[in-house]
Amino acid sequence: MLCQNCSKRAATVHLTEVVSNTKKEIHLCEECAQSKGVAIKTHIQGLEIPEFFGQLAQSHGQTPSGASAEAQTRCDSCGLTFEAFRNSGKFGCPDCVASFKKGLVGLVERIHGGTQHRGKVPNRATERIAKQKELMELKEELKRAVAEEAYERAARLRDTVHKLESKLGYHT
Amino acid sequence: MIELSQLQVLSGEWLSGGGAEADVVVSSRVRLARNVAGFPFLTRAAEEKRAAVEGLIRAAVKDSSLRSRMTYHDLAAMEHVERQFLVERHLISRDHAFAQGPRGVAFTADERVSIMVNEEDHLRIQSLRAGLELRAAFELANEIDDALEERVDYAYSSQFGYLTACPTNLGTGMRVSVMLHLPALVITREIEKVFQAVNKINLAVRGLYGEGTQASGDFYQISNQVTLGKTEDEIVDNLVSVIPQIVKYERKVRQTLLQAKRVILEDKIWRALGVLRVARTITSEETLELLSLVRLGVHLTVVEGISTSTLNELLVLSQPAHLQKVESAKLSSHERDVVRARYIRERLGKDMGPVG
Repeated sequence: MLCQNCSKRAATVHLTEVVSNTKKEIHLCEECAQSKGVAIKTHIQGLEIPEFFGQLAQSHGQTPSGASAEAQTRCDSCGLTFEAFRNSGKFGCPDCVASFKKGLVGLVERIHGGTQHRGKVPNRATERIAKQKELMELKEELKRAVAEEAYERAARLRDTVHKLESKLGYHT
Repeated sequence: MIELSQLQVLSGEWLSGGGAEADVVVSSRVRLARNVAGFPFLTRAAEEKRAAVEGLIRAAVKDSSLRSRMTYHDLAAMEHVERQFLVERHLISRDHAFAQGPRGVAFTADERVSIMVNEEDHLRIQSLRAGLELRAAFELANEIDDALEERVDYAYSSQFGYLTACPTNLGTGMRVSVMLHLPALVITREIEKVFQAVNKINLAVRGLYGEGTQASGDFYQISNQVTLGKTEDEIVDNLVSVIPQIVKYERKVRQTLLQAKRVILEDKIWRALGVLRVARTITSEETLELLSLVRLGVHLTVVEGISTSTLNELLVLSQPAHLQKVESAKLSSHERDVVRARYIRERLGKDMGPVG
């Protein structure tokens, strides 16, 4: 097979491109591929490049595919993204830790060497934590109700969520 | 109600020069970071949310058992020089003084406790004591925390503890630190070894005014870095066990210096005292440097007749905002240097009599 670009040399680089669900194959010689900036598959100690970077990222506690999804995670309460949190090093609100929990645990462990609080518990926290847990469960149920198009149930749940949020002081 | 103008004569307890290991440990500090549940942290709080938090905490201080012990001051309504004044007394942080928006501070007359409102977190409870008195400082901060908690719903999670704006404060939200005077370790460059050892056990070294500031006049702050995964007692105990080792090291090197280079060391100390007693203009940097040497002289009994509390008083009262308070006038930097030199001469003269 000849190179599709110069039609002179033998095509040794074979690319498969998928554009809006149609597969397109391109065959090029090495020189034309390089001049077009096509990265040629390279092997590093038996590892392909994407895999190599994946391992690098993992050694930093993130998977490459998870990292970008994680970065876009948004805190429901204040709107901060995990990426913005990582860049500034500051949370936006008390709910951020719950919103970013997945990405946060590794970070907290690197900073503190532990991930479970063992110190003081505020006297009023026990009751409050129970209410917060209830609120999270109600919100999940509300999402399910909306997904199932059970709007009457969803409306009732929304009212309960709103009342509980007020009790927790979220609307002051 | 204490007027700020009265503060220049009232001196904070931590300046007394008392407490354990006072020849090396200037002061002990415990700070608790807390936030109000249901409110965004300051970086994402609009003006009205900040005002709501400030109002809520102000009311909590005024309605709780703290009312009779603390006075509340609105920082946003305060002049620049007055805020600087509070920084110099370690009642608020530099960032807190020069931030924008609704914020305040409450403190006791003896200045052992202050509550910063809308600093990096909604609440920063700070307790300060003279000498190595970490446990006493912790107990006081903890007591204030309990009193506030009766009125304020804290942001808290069972896994991450007290929720704070910065992940480095999660868990206990507690920073425990001591201010050390380490001139002998600095002169002999042994200080590097201390820094390395201290970093290995997860303690941080900072300058005189806390985070991000340079150490000056041989004064260093050592504090815990880990706030989550350990109990408050464990964090306090860690410092309580480490600090005496640094104190012992500094004392040993002071004695070695005195034995090996007595004349040179005495000369440095007496020259420092001489300059402070006769100078007609002096910067705050030079003052700090010379006071450090005199302090070393006092604790080695090379110099007699000056108390540690006088040196501490000079340390605080010779700073820009304090000088302007004493003079009740806005001073240029040159005028400050002249007033500072005069104030130091008079104060040392009171303890030691006239020069010559």
